[in-house]
Amino acid sequence: MKNNSLVERLSLQSESFQEGFELLIKCSTLEEMIKNFYHLLRGNFLATNLYITYKKSFASKWESIGLKFEIKEIDLSFLDHEKQLTVKYSQKEKYDVVVVLPLSDDSYLGIIVGKKLDKSPFNDFDKITLQILLQVFSSAYNSFLNQREVKRLIFDLNEKVLQLNSLIDTGIELSRFDKQNVLFELSLERAVSITNSSSGIILIYGTDSKTPEKQLAFPSNTNPKKVLENQFKIESTFKFDDKNYHFLLAEKETRKGATSFTELDVMLLESITRQVQAAIENEYLIEQSLEKERIEKELSLAATIQQRIIPKKLPEIEGFELSGINIPSREVGGDYYDCIDMGDGKYALIIADVAGKGISAALLVSTLNAAIYSYLEFDLPLTELIEKLNKLIFQSSPSDKYITFFIAVLHSKSGELNMVNAGHNPALLLREDGALEQIDAGGIGLGMLDFGMPYTDQNIILNRGDKLFLYTDGIPEAMNVNNEEYSDERMIEFFKEHASKSGESFINAMVKDTKSFVGEAVQSDDITTLILKKL
Amino acid sequence: MSEDFTIISELNNNILVLKTNGYINNTGGEKIAQEFSKHQDSVKKVVIDLEKSNVVNSIGISYLLEIVESLNESGGKLFFTNLDPTIEKTFQIMGIFQFAEKTDSIDSVVG
Repeated sequence: MKNNSLVERLSLQSESFQEGFELLIKCSTLEEMIKNFYHLLRGNFLATNLYITYKKSFASKWESIGLKFEIKEIDLSFLDHEKQLTVKYSQKEKYDVVVVLPLSDDSYLGIIVGKKLDKSPFNDFDKITLQILLQVFSSAYNSFLNQREVKRLIFDLNEKVLQLNSLIDTGIELSRFDKQNVLFELSLERAVSITNSSSGIILIYGTDSKTPEKQLAFPSNTNPKKVLENQFKIESTFKFDDKNYHFLLAEKETRKGATSFTELDVMLLESITRQVQAAIENEYLIEQSLEKERIEKELSLAATIQQRIIPKKLPEIEGFELSGINIPSREVGGDYYDCIDMGDGKYALIIADVAGKGISAALLVSTLNAAIYSYLEFDLPLTELIEKLNKLIFQSSPSDKYITFFIAVLHSKSGELNMVNAGHNPALLLREDGALEQIDAGGIGLGMLDFGMPYTDQNIILNRGDKLFLYTDGIPEAMNVNNEEYSDERMIEFFKEHASKSGESFINAMVKDTKSFVGEAVQSDDITTLILKKL
Repeated sequence: MSEDFTIISELNNNILVLKTNGYINNTGGEKIAQEFSKHQDSVKKVVIDLEKSNVVNSIGISYLLEIVESLNESGGKLFFTNLDPTIEKTFQIMGIFQFAEKTDSIDSVVG
């Protein structure tokens, strides 16, 4: 064939080569490329048999990709040893043409062309056409690899955006949950999915415990033992409130099987674990804050109840001076005092202290107050009145609640005092001549027991200049920063020394001395006093 | 490790409906792709019902993307229904909805 004629024919074919290239670069898979290349070769050479094989690397085995033939059908022995582009023509062999085409990613294309339909040998035009088609495939394959790389890069970039987005969303979602089970389920699912793990578990251990007190797995049928023993695993832990939390992920997935986790995976897991830790800590702090708020509301209510019961103003008793004070502690105790005008010159002086603090103590004081007013109406003997109060308080309060109580009924015209002390601090009677008596006749505190134990009373006459001092343990048991008590002795001495002052002045001085002793320490109990002076 | 992924395949009006159950990871994605390949030459529309799958990883997504591309090249379409909001956002970010669609129900595709 003359050169001019060859060039002319190839020029006519150039459009066909261009179309072939465009067909190949549109293929999204290698299978599709090989299938189309097969048709391109068949169309050009009209060969009886045509085989295209592929191997991923020089050492790999030839595979049939995209074409319907078994690889064992053909003899590939003459393809195996070629690393360079090899094109062999031979009319004597079974096949006319054998080609090994090395591709840019170190993979290989093997092409075997059988006899042409017209039995004619491969001429120069066929040989040049084959060379051009090999170049076309090679270029299209490079384009295919580039497209695949671009796709991979876009996928990887999207995956990173997804991981970042997932971390942010997880943080927001975790902060909304107040149930720990939901918190753990969500965090485990997210940790598993954003790290492409096959599975994950959360193990929660108590202090010094080797067996987890709680465990979660995703997927739910995951065997924790297999995660713990897996060669591909990562772990993140934290400790909070005497519990150890372990997050474990196993087997980072790829399309080709499990592999080791990366540093990024470790960071992602730790990031989610920290978010869980923060959510648990926040939940704890919120609970604390709600509890504090609840207590403050209760104390506020208790203080309101207490303030309503304690008299704003004491009655004026002819021939006597009466003063009192109640200074609630920060935790609102159950101290109570009152002076009830019973008519006909009789007055009931009361001081009491409920065991415990807060709303329950305040309510018990309220019950006591109402009961006293009711029973005083019946003008019962004082001991009987106390027995009734004891029964009522015993029945209406829990076993750990009781009231220390002191009552003195003053007959102002005669100066007679009828008194019962139910488990309260002894009242102090200071006679004008300086003699001091402690009044403790009575019985047990109200509500302690209900065995019908009798109460005894005591009667005295108050003479001019005599003083009766009632108080709760908030004064003698007031404690300073060194855990030292103000003490009964110091209180009695102070009483004796300052009793000549007016009632209000004495009380103010007593409170001032107590607070001076306490100093920087917090007032832990109510301070309540009542002082009666015979003028 | 864990093999709790299951798939129910139904052919309805020449539309392939795949109902998945479990984590769509390498195993789950591969099972979906295998089921799709059995019907690849005969169906143009595929609906994947994700009601019982609320976790997916990017390996699983890579299989779904291949199905999307394959259907797109043959003039077909992939639909997803009963998407968990997290999965929907994941698909959005990973570009699945460039060629696939979200549908309210299987019936709205099957007709």
